[in-house]
Amino acid sequence: MKKTGVLLADDHTLIRAGLRMVVEAQSDLSVVGEASNGREAVGMAEALKPDVVVMDIGMPSLNGIEAAREIRKTLPDTQIVMLSMHSDEGYVLRALKAGAKAYLLKDSAEADLAQAIRAAAAEKSFFSPAVGKVLLEDYMRKLQRTGAEDSYELLSPREREILQLVAEGKSSKEIAALLNLSVYTVETHRAHVMQKLNVHGIPELILYAVRKGIIS
Amino acid sequence: MTIRTAEADIAKPLPRSSRLRWLLLIVGGTLLSLLLASGILAIRFLNEMHTQQQIVSHALAARTQKLSGLLLSVQSYNDAVQQFVALEQAARKPARQQLDRLTVEIDSDLKRYPTDRDSTEAELLDGMQNVFTQQRTLYISVLAAKPDERRRQALKLISDRMVPLQRQILGWSGKLQTWNGERLQHADRALVTEFGSLQGGLSRVLSIGFGSGLLLVLGSMAYIIRLERQTHGRYVQLAQSQHELQRLSSRLVDAQETERRSLSRELHDGIGQALGALLVDIGRLSTTLTDDRPEVRTQLDNMKSVAETTLLSVRNIALLLRPSMLDDLGLVAALEWQGREVSRRSEIEVSVESENMPEDLPDEYGICIYRLVQEALNNAVRHSGARNAKVTVEHSARAIAVQVSDDGRGFDPTRVRGLGILGMEERVHRLGGTFTVRSQPGQGVAITANLPFPPASGNHS
Repeated sequence: MKKTGVLLADDHTLIRAGLRMVVEAQSDLSVVGEASNGREAVGMAEALKPDVVVMDIGMPSLNGIEAAREIRKTLPDTQIVMLSMHSDEGYVLRALKAGAKAYLLKDSAEADLAQAIRAAAAEKSFFSPAVGKVLLEDYMRKLQRTGAEDSYELLSPREREILQLVAEGKSSKEIAALLNLSVYTVETHRAHVMQKLNVHGIPELILYAVRKGIIS
Repeated sequence: MTIRTAEADIAKPLPRSSRLRWLLLIVGGTLLSLLLASGILAIRFLNEMHTQQQIVSHALAARTQKLSGLLLSVQSYNDAVQQFVALEQAARKPARQQLDRLTVEIDSDLKRYPTDRDSTEAELLDGMQNVFTQQRTLYISVLAAKPDERRRQALKLISDRMVPLQRQILGWSGKLQTWNGERLQHADRALVTEFGSLQGGLSRVLSIGFGSGLLLVLGSMAYIIRLERQTHGRYVQLAQSQHELQRLSSRLVDAQETERRSLSRELHDGIGQALGALLVDIGRLSTTLTDDRPEVRTQLDNMKSVAETTLLSVRNIALLLRPSMLDDLGLVAALEWQGREVSRRSEIEVSVESENMPEDLPDEYGICIYRLVQEALNNAVRHSGARNAKVTVEHSARAIAVQVSDDGRGFDPTRVRGLGILGMEERVHRLGGTFTVRSQPGQGVAITANLPFPPASGNHS
């Protein structure tokens, strides 16, 4: 079986060394290259065409989010695992919008990294458990203070099912096949979900799902 | 400290200038009163001169009148004597009476002549009186003679004695007239002399007054010019030092920002990286650890938790010093993060709205707006007791408007002006913007900044 090729991009040598050891310890993963800034990461990704790029957000020259956007634009088959110190939704949402599949907090990187790389390679979402926790706390606090209703309660069981599948990264066609529905019906459900939750686009939907602990 | 001393210097009146002021007042006052006094003196003198001249001309007129009256009477007397001599005995009685009357008249005329006479005048009058007395004695002797003898002698007497006497009287009177004229001239001359001396005195006083006035004016002008120069010099100095101060404070803000950034970088890259690597290593160690050593695992977990806590606080300090989201995500996301951070750790729910904000905002604008919002929200958390706060940033054609408002208890901005507000103001002014704080007790606070954007060229170096 072919090993999943991983490119590591982080401006800190020590961190890179640590990440490399974690990845190399896995039999199905191998490190194909290391980049020390965003610009270098883009160049190396184009040259090496890795399956997954593990990318730190805070990097000099070109930050991780911009680098991820450029890589996703030129290499649609290369998936991104974003590494960050921040569990704030501003970061998570922008990472998702830039095309990242997984979002890992650096604190817990060594424990979840292998799992996140595998999920991303399979085009599935993955988030550090702590991220979901922070997002949920923010959300609940806001609901409580503004007295708003939890929009999740407005969703029907079928819509919740579809929300989860969409957030996991499945296409409408896959969902239709899985649930034995027509693609059209799935699309309609999806539109209803977005409307009820007042979200615009898949990244926000994923963020919502992470926040509600539907996916992790 | 320095500013205090300078203020004290300005506030303290200079003793030299105060003395000069008094001197100016006294000299000016003296000059004016001198002029006033000489004016009054001149007017009074002119009045007096006028009166004197009137007295003199009155006196002259009176004398002339009396003198001509006298002459007329003497003339009539002579005529009467001649007539009397020529008359017949029978008609003499009324003529005699006429003569007596004229005699009395002449006497009274002489007596009535103005009494304020000087020696020359008196002498002349006495002379006249003598001549007249001689004349009369002559007549009386003629009259006393027997008529035929008298007739015989009369004509001879008249031609021999009367006519020369008559001439003498006329001569005396002419002399008196001349004397009177001389006296008038004399008085005129005296007046002219006195007038001349007054004129001289007045022009001396006036020229002294004018001269010293001119000196005073010139002196004052020179002093004023010097003062003006000094004031201008001080003003220039003040403006310069104010400019310097402004530059200094703006450089201070710059230096602070640079310092913070490098400190943050240092913390993040140095300590943060080392801790991160430590955590990765601990993690790897714990996965390779076999389960027969539980005490080692516990120790490892402890180490991990210590490293995590330390990393977290290092990260927080670094973030406070330099918000990395400003570099990573841009201003709007950083403001949103800031708002959520405040919401997380305080009772205030912060909403952040932005409109038309450019993606590539220069760093100085980003940091200015970010720090402004940070400070305003911190103030709200610390002092306002607000439940909600709202941050809006909006880019219109020429400016970026930033507003942070809350629904807290507010304050009186004319009385309270903390360092935080001064710092915000300073940052906004550095970018050529305007800054206002609107608040009233019980009405919440609204802090507004308007930054010209795109910046006018040469706005800041």
